[in-house]
Amino acid sequence: MTVTTNTAVPVGAPPPAPRATAPERPRKRLLGQQAIPYLLLLPATLAVLVMLGYPVLSVVLTSFRQLDLGELVQGEVVWKGLDNYREILSDPNFWVITGRTLVFTAACVASTVLGGLGVALLMRHASRGVRLVLQLSLVFAWAMPLLSATTVFQWMFDQNYGILNKTLVQLGFHQFAGFSWFSTGLSTMAVIVILIAWQGIPFVAFTLYAGIVGVPADLYEAAGLDGASSWQTFRAVTWTALRPLVNVVTFLSLLWDFKVFAQVWAIRQGGPDGGSTTLPVLQFLKGIATSHFGVAAAVSVIMIVLLVAVTWQNLRLMLRSEGVD
Amino acid sequence: MLRVKRITVSVVGVLVAVLFAFPTYWMVTTALKPANQLLSDSYDLVPLGLTLQHFVDGISKEGFLTALGNSVITSLGAVLFALIAGLLAAVPLARMRFRGRKGFVLLVLVAQMAPFEALLIPMYLMMRSADLLNQLPGLILVYFAATLPFTAWTLRGFVKGIPVDLEEAAMVDGCGRWAAFRRVTLPLLGPGLVATSVFSFITAWNEFLYALTFMQDQGNYTLPVWLSGFQTQFGTDWGGTMAASTVFTVPVLIFFLIVQRNLVSGVTAGAVKG
Repeated sequence: MTVTTNTAVPVGAPPPAPRATAPERPRKRLLGQQAIPYLLLLPATLAVLVMLGYPVLSVVLTSFRQLDLGELVQGEVVWKGLDNYREILSDPNFWVITGRTLVFTAACVASTVLGGLGVALLMRHASRGVRLVLQLSLVFAWAMPLLSATTVFQWMFDQNYGILNKTLVQLGFHQFAGFSWFSTGLSTMAVIVILIAWQGIPFVAFTLYAGIVGVPADLYEAAGLDGASSWQTFRAVTWTALRPLVNVVTFLSLLWDFKVFAQVWAIRQGGPDGGSTTLPVLQFLKGIATSHFGVAAAVSVIMIVLLVAVTWQNLRLMLRSEGVD
Repeated sequence: MLRVKRITVSVVGVLVAVLFAFPTYWMVTTALKPANQLLSDSYDLVPLGLTLQHFVDGISKEGFLTALGNSVITSLGAVLFALIAGLLAAVPLARMRFRGRKGFVLLVLVAQMAPFEALLIPMYLMMRSADLLNQLPGLILVYFAATLPFTAWTLRGFVKGIPVDLEEAAMVDGCGRWAAFRRVTLPLLGPGLVATSVFSFITAWNEFLYALTFMQDQGNYTLPVWLSGFQTQFGTDWGGTMAASTVFTVPVLIFFLIVQRNLVSGVTAGAVKG
């Protein structure tokens, strides 16, 4: 872009866009100026359309196709209408997996948000030194990459030499000597929920703590003067101020936890015996591992529909607040 | 009574802190423990001996350095492209008036919430027909697209936060629009650019699903994929696994400490009204 000097700008007017052409051709310059925002937006818009818009369209179309390895290699397009959906929805296993995914998501979100709220309140009431130690350790947990955290948790929950079982035995629970945490789907899922809550709590705690600190001190004073108990103060002052933030972190956790793949896959690849398979894992197994792309696309579409349904309320609120802007 | 409460809060606070810091502590100490102390029945929260052997072993294990390099290339590449395209989009969205502005803002907002994990199949098919499977550029493209909406949205917030008057003052003093942007706004945007790129970097650094799906040869693995395979392959070599995990964690930890002030505002900026 060429740089031209601009001498006078009327105060209060929107700043003019850079001049693209010589000033002696005013009509063309105006056109050029009008195009500038669109030119600047072009790369991002293109990227979003190609890498996001097209895949969304394509996943829906693919879900109506028969697309296994054979069709893929030969480039055949075979439409089969709703057969992929019929196949998935009539499979009792699919409903087990969907139910498991929803319960798993709910457990992750609930423990993350409640745990985060608890830690935030703890930070609020702790002394300076304890708060600093707490914040530092939260940053450590937050910063650990997903896969590092997952491997460490596998090591801590190891059957024979894991520190958890050793500690439990030391505390007198001898039935945990050699206890295998990954032998049933339920306990595997429980470990994954703990892992996700452990990773998710720091963000929630810091966000809510920022909200708590932002509550004007005179509100607490007023509550104290009115003789409110600490529970009443929490409900009337802290909770009222925090509710919008709690909504935001719940929404974000829903968005994140519903789609969790890395931790589930890295721990037992959805095992034992499919006991920890969730919808994202199913999508991977159907699509990538066994090359039934049409069926997998149908799973993806169902995932998107479920995700939108679960977060609908928040989505609407957010879009509306942006529409007013 | 008040004293009892204060002590309880302190004790609970320290316990919670220990709980959250323990996995990091355990990862590092395991990586430093001599091999014969790892698979033993003794109860040892504090290592009795120290060794760097696991780091030497882990790093010299086949594929580690390649995977590390691949992770760095894909993450940095994605961040760089997202930063350029994101900044170009953020400026008009924050500063200019034009037809359809609201539509673009909405597009970025919706794109930010897109469930990328659910687009695995079409992305795979797309990369396959573009012949980009099993290649780093394919992964860079996906990470770029995944981090771009967040980058554009956050940078829009940062640009909005810089008073227009500053730019106008520069223009009154004889700067062109572009010079005013480069000399006034861009330097002030510095912290915002750093914070945003750190978040994008961490997203790409952590990504597992696409890396696992796209990369078929070990030479193209990123660290998360390598690490998960390593764990399966060398199930009992916990020292080596933990050493590799530590190396994988260190860059992220450094970045977190750099941007810790922006941690919360950075992530919520996309969620709360910008």
